[in-house]
Amino acid sequence: MFDVILQAGASVLLDPLTLGLMALGTLAGLLAGAIPGFTIAMGVILTLPFTFGMSPIQGLATMMGVFVGGLSGGLMSGMLTGIPGTPSSVATTFDGFPMVRSGKPGLALGLGLWSSFFGGMISAIILVALAPQLAFLGLEFGPWDYFALIVFALTITVSLSGDNMVKGLIAGLLGLFAACVGEDEINGVARFAFGSDHIRQGFAFLPVLIGLFAFSQLLSDVEDNVKAKSPLMAKTADPVRVEHRKAIALVIKNWINLCRSSFIGIFTGILPAAGGSISNILAYDQAKKASKNRSEFGKGAVDGIIAPEAANNATAGGALIMMMALGIPGDIVTAVMLGALMIHNIIPGPSFIQDEPLLAYGVFIAFFAAHFFMVGLQAFSLKLFLLVTRIPMYVLASVILAYCAIGVFALHNITFDIWVMFAFGVIGYFMRKLGFPLAPMILGVVLGKLAELNLARAIGTSDDYFLFITRPWSLFFILMALVSVLFPFYQNASKDTLFSKLFVPISMIVLSFPLFLMQSPVRMIIAAILLLAGSYFVYKRMSTLQAT
Amino acid sequence: MTSNKSDIIIAIFLLCFSGIMINDASNIRDLGFEGMKADAWPRVVLWLLVVMSSVMLGKSYIQLKTEGHKDNNTFQVNFSKFKNAFICFGMFLFFLSTLDYLGMLLGGIAFVFGLLTFLGGFSLNLIIKHLTISVLSIGFMWMVFTFGLRVMLPEGEILRVW
Repeated sequence: MFDVILQAGASVLLDPLTLGLMALGTLAGLLAGAIPGFTIAMGVILTLPFTFGMSPIQGLATMMGVFVGGLSGGLMSGMLTGIPGTPSSVATTFDGFPMVRSGKPGLALGLGLWSSFFGGMISAIILVALAPQLAFLGLEFGPWDYFALIVFALTITVSLSGDNMVKGLIAGLLGLFAACVGEDEINGVARFAFGSDHIRQGFAFLPVLIGLFAFSQLLSDVEDNVKAKSPLMAKTADPVRVEHRKAIALVIKNWINLCRSSFIGIFTGILPAAGGSISNILAYDQAKKASKNRSEFGKGAVDGIIAPEAANNATAGGALIMMMALGIPGDIVTAVMLGALMIHNIIPGPSFIQDEPLLAYGVFIAFFAAHFFMVGLQAFSLKLFLLVTRIPMYVLASVILAYCAIGVFALHNITFDIWVMFAFGVIGYFMRKLGFPLAPMILGVVLGKLAELNLARAIGTSDDYFLFITRPWSLFFILMALVSVLFPFYQNASKDTLFSKLFVPISMIVLSFPLFLMQSPVRMIIAAILLLAGSYFVYKRMSTLQAT
Repeated sequence: MTSNKSDIIIAIFLLCFSGIMINDASNIRDLGFEGMKADAWPRVVLWLLVVMSSVMLGKSYIQLKTEGHKDNNTFQVNFSKFKNAFICFGMFLFFLSTLDYLGMLLGGIAFVFGLLTFLGGFSLNLIIKHLTISVLSIGFMWMVFTFGLRVMLPEGEILRVW
C-alpha cells in the first residue's frame, strides 16, 4: 500500500514536467474561475485537448490543477468586484466584498485563499481514506444495484438542477437517448444511424459535452451586444498584497466552522450533480446559523468567508470520491474527467483503485499538490486576472470557439466530431434559452451506456425482475431515487403541512429497511439509528400537530 | 422562465421527435440472441420522453388557460435578441463547410476574423485589430497542435495545392 503511494507520489511530485503542467493547469484554472461567464467545467474542457498527447497521470494532474485552481479563482473577482467568478463562489461575495470595501482586501483574499486550502486538504484526506473503502463496497454491487445507482444519480441531478423538474427529466432522457445513437454495446447493432456511417459509430462523448456546455455557454456570453463589446469586468480592482499570516491564524482559530463547512462540501460533492454552487451557500447558511454574531454576516464576517470557500474546495474531494470509487461523476467537471480517463482507455469503477493503483493514488496526490500550487500562484494569477479582465468578451468567445473546433478535431482526427460539437452546441444554446437544465442531459450522456449495459446484464443474468427490489443495494438506491424525486415537492411545500413535517423522518425510516437487509453489523447499527431517529421525529411532530 | 406558448411548441416538437424515433426503432435489427434486445432500452427512453413531453404539454396548456399568456420575452422570435448567436451559428457553419478547402489554419483565421468583425464592428482600426488577433491566436494554436501535440490538422486544398 505505502509502496504504491510512494511510487504514485514520485510519478507526480518528482517529475518536473508533471509538476510544470500541473502549475500551468492551476494557473489556467485560477483565471477561468476568476473570469465571470467562464466556469471551472469550461476551463477543464478547454484543457482537455492538450492532455491527449500526455501520459494519463500527466493529463489528470493537469486537469486536477485546473479543477482546484478554478474553485479558488472565483474568490478573486467575487471579493474585489462583488461579481462572483463562478457559481461556487457566490456566497463568498456576501462577506468578502464588504470586507474588501471596509479597507481589508489583503485579509479578505487571505481568508478565502487559506480556507480553500484547508478545506481542500480536509477533503483530500477524506478522499484518500474513503474512496478505496467505497470502491470496496462497490465490489458488492451487481448489475441490478449499478442500474439502480445510475437511476438515483439521474433523479437527484434532476431534482437539484432547477425549478422545473419535468424539464430536467426531459433533459436527462434526451441525454440518455443521445447515448443510444450508434452501435449498441451488447449486440453491435446500428441504431438511429439513418444510413450514415459516421452516426453509426455513435456520438463521441467529449464533442457532445463541449458542444452542450462550452459552445452554448460562449453563445450565451456574446448574446448581449453591449456586454459582449465591453471589457469582461466593468469594475476594475487594484493589485492587493495578501495578508497570509493573519489569515492563517484566523482560519485556524475558527476551526469548527472550517471543519463543518468542509464536511458539508464533501457530502455535497458525493451527491451526484450537487456541486460547489450548492455547497458554498449551504455552508454559509450553516455558519450563519451557528454563529454568535449573526448580525455581522453580510458586513464582512470572517466566518462568512471561511465557510463558502472551505466548502467549495471540499466539494471537489467529494465529487472525486464518487468518480474514483464507483465511476459515477459527482458533477460536470468530474464527468469531463471521466471522459478524459476514457480517452486513455481507463474506465473508473469499483475495481479501478485495485487495478490501477498508481494512477488512482497519483490522482489523489495531484489533488493534494494542486492546493499548494493554488496558494503559490494566487498572487501571480491576480495580476494576470487584472490584465485579462480588460479584454472584451466577444474577442475571448471568438478565439475560444475556434479553439474548441481544433481541440475536438484533435480527439479522433475526424471532422464529424466538430459537426457533432456544433449540433449539440446549438441544441445546448436553445435548451438554455428554453429553461432546460443542462446538467441532467450531460449526466444522461455520460451514464446512458453504463445504464443500458447494466440493465442488459441484469436481464441476461436472471429474468426475475423482482431482484431490482429484493436486492438490498438496489432497493436502497431505488428508495433514494424516490426520495430525491419527492425532494423538490418537500422544498416547495409550506412548512405547516403534514407532508413537509414528516418527509425527512419517514425517508429515514424507509431508508433503514434496505440497510437492515444487508446483514452487516455496521450497516445494521446505521439502520437502527435511522429507524429510531426517524420514529422519534415522527412521534415528536405528530404530538406537536395534535397539540396545535 | 419561458412563455407557456413556447413550452407548448417545444412539447409538441418533442412528441413529434419521439414519434419519429420510436418509428425508426422498429428498423433496429434483431439478431435473435437471448437477453435484452438492441431496441429495448431506446424504446424505454423514448416512451418515457413521450410521457414527460405530454406532462409538459398538459401542464403548459392548463397554465395558459388558467393564468393566461405568460411571456417574459425570453424566447420570442426576436431576431435582434438572438442576432449574435445566429451570427456565430452562420460563421461556424461556413467554417465547417469550407474546412476541406481552406483547412484549419486559413479557415480558423477566416472564422475568427469574420466573427470578431461581425460582433465587434467594421471600422478600419477594429478590422486591423481583429486581423491581428485572428492571425496570432489561430497561428499559435495551429503551431501548438501541429508541432507540439503532433496532431495532423486539416490542411485544406488551397494550402495543399500551394
